[in-house]
Amino acid sequence: MANIAAKRIKREFKEVMKSEEVAGGDIKLELVNDCWTELQGEIAGPPDTPYEGGTFLLEIKVPETYPFNPPKIRFMTKIWHPNVSSATGAICLDILKDQWAAALTLRTVLLSIQALLSAAEPNDPQDAVVAKQYRENPQLFNMTARHWTNIYAGGPTSVWEFNQKVQRLLDMGIDEHQARVALSTYDWELERATEQLFC
Amino acid sequence: MSAESDMEYSDNDGDDYYYEGQDDCDMETVDRSKSDPEYFMFSCLRVEEVEKLLNESIELLSNSLQITPSLAKVMLYAYEWNAQEIIKKYKENANEVLVYSRVKPPMPQTQGNSSRSICAVCASTPPLQKYSALACGHYFCNDCWAMHFEVQIMQGVSNTIQCMAQDCEVRAPEDFVLSHVTKPALRERYQQFMFKDHVKSHPQLRFCPGPNCQWIYQAWVREGARRVECQGCELLTCFSCGAPHHAPTDCTTIRRWLTKCADDSETANYISAHTKDCPKCQICIEKNGGCNHMQCGACRHDFCWVCLGDWRSHGSEYYECSRYKEDPNLANDSQHAQAREALKKYLHYYERWENHARSLKLEEQTLASLKSRINQKVMAGEGTWIDWQYLWDAARLLKRCRYTLQYTYPFAYYMDVGPRKELFEYQQAQLEAEIENLSWKVERAETTDRGDLENQMDIAEKRRTTLLKDFLEFNTNNASSSKI
Ligand SMILES: [Zn+2]
Ligand SMILES: [Zn+2]
Ligand SMILES: [Zn+2]
Ligand SMILES: [Zn+2]
Ligand SMILES: [Zn+2]
Ligand SMILES: [Zn+2]
Repeated sequence: MANIAAKRIKREFKEVMKSEEVAGGDIKLELVNDCWTELQGEIAGPPDTPYEGGTFLLEIKVPETYPFNPPKIRFMTKIWHPNVSSATGAICLDILKDQWAAALTLRTVLLSIQALLSAAEPNDPQDAVVAKQYRENPQLFNMTARHWTNIYAGGPTSVWEFNQKVQRLLDMGIDEHQARVALSTYDWELERATEQLFC
Repeated sequence: MSAESDMEYSDNDGDDYYYEGQDDCDMETVDRSKSDPEYFMFSCLRVEEVEKLLNESIELLSNSLQITPSLAKVMLYAYEWNAQEIIKKYKENANEVLVYSRVKPPMPQTQGNSSRSICAVCASTPPLQKYSALACGHYFCNDCWAMHFEVQIMQGVSNTIQCMAQDCEVRAPEDFVLSHVTKPALRERYQQFMFKDHVKSHPQLRFCPGPNCQWIYQAWVREGARRVECQGCELLTCFSCGAPHHAPTDCTTIRRWLTKCADDSETANYISAHTKDCPKCQICIEKNGGCNHMQCGACRHDFCWVCLGDWRSHGSEYYECSRYKEDPNLANDSQHAQAREALKKYLHYYERWENHARSLKLEEQTLASLKSRINQKVMAGEGTWIDWQYLWDAARLLKRCRYTLQYTYPFAYYMDVGPRKELFEYQQAQLEAEIENLSWKVERAETTDRGDLENQMDIAEKRRTTLLKDFLEFNTNNASSSKI
């Protein structure tokens, strides 16, 4: 790995470790390998959002050309959010693309991702299905996001009705995550979800 | 370089000897601008000519504002090469122009990371003189600037490379970039991208989209279907939108149509077969020319390749084949039937569009073989090129007519049902009939009477220009007068 990239990452790692956000439990950063090319981030779901109480893991890959090119970051924890792919965890965020600046740091990036959880950008969606629900049925979107946070990120709010519906599909022999995706996609209408799964 | 040397009658593939004595004179250009509804003034320029043209704007701006050429480039790029506008605005409010061009930041930087004790990018602490900054005052070490530029240039960015500070959108001018980039290959790459970017940002310029083609068009109008023909690769392009030339269809409609065709390509896939059975004796016939008037080799039956109908009904004054009749009872039908009807309608237009595209390709082959046949005749002493020129002209004209005909189908597809559409499809049908007649005669050119062929050429071209005069969008006077 290029000298400058490693040097920068080491410095940023230290910066994050002694930041007040780490002390407050908002973000975390861990090394995955010793050559500083891969890290694991962690952000806490912000208060007053459906993600509250959840812990979200991020995969961070540092390119050879860092910091002149942005780090590659995706959610490892499954999440229901308009700007994150519910399938791959890919994130749509301007500073991870064309608005990246070499002077930006991992700390600011992690905080920006956390801010994205508080304020989605439905006009710049990564996941069209989620974005549509966010716009057209905000209440149901909130419930769905809360349910995903509960199941995948350890959030506190269990949605009994949704759990029941997932269980119904499980009983039919369908994979749990697949069942949840189908139900979330079809606004928790059991019939349409089933139809889609068996067609 | 002027427009007349680029027009369709001239042939630029090296066989210019048979044009001797035929002056591409101004008279003809003046004439054509009146008789050809598609006439459009443009030039076809080489890279060096365009460089010269751009440099003139750069010099003008840098001289009159007393700024570096490098800065002038940043400003011209931001103002789409309108030097006069920049000069006027600069005299009113220089700061506003500099901010708009992103030479300066919108607000004077209060402090930020303008420190010169540690480089915020690489975290090293080089001596003071090894830092530099753009007008925003964000200092970074020179090594980091060099790396930043290298990464950006490798990704194809040139005019829009920005400062490395967070949320700072100040752009790096050429001299600043080049003062940090030393590798010759990288400097050259940067300047190449810069040139491409300049052409793309210039409203009067457009690259020929032909593969590996180096020619650049220059014209002064950028709306409506505007035909430009490349001097190098002979491609016909619309100057306004860069799509293949598409009159009488307008730019937005052709985009919609091409997108639709790409989306629906699977549905329409079954259409393409190159062989069909003779509708009378069922013998398999392969289409090898572009003409849609087919004659079965076995039973001599004349039929239409497109609809398989009897050709005799097509020859009559009302050629029905190109028309699509919309079912008047449609509104009462179920949704399913409507969807089926929509697909049927699309396929009707698509099949004809595709078919003429194929004919056009086949006729291009005819054109190529015609050339060698004429050459053989000339070698064998059967007259000179001038004697056979009419054959060549006929094949060229056929190509041009067929091209227009192909692009009438997307136009008709998106037209509202009504008298205007009826008129359009009537004219389209007439054009189509005459084109097929011409194609038939061109394929049998050597045995066709010259006068007969020239007469047919005249009729086909008249039909083409009539349709364009009445329906080409920017001919507003004509269009409104022919509105019913
Ligand atoms: Zn540096
Ligand atoms: Zn700056
Ligand atoms: Zn070309
Ligand atoms: Zn166009
Ligand atoms: Zn036959
Ligand atoms: Zn027909």
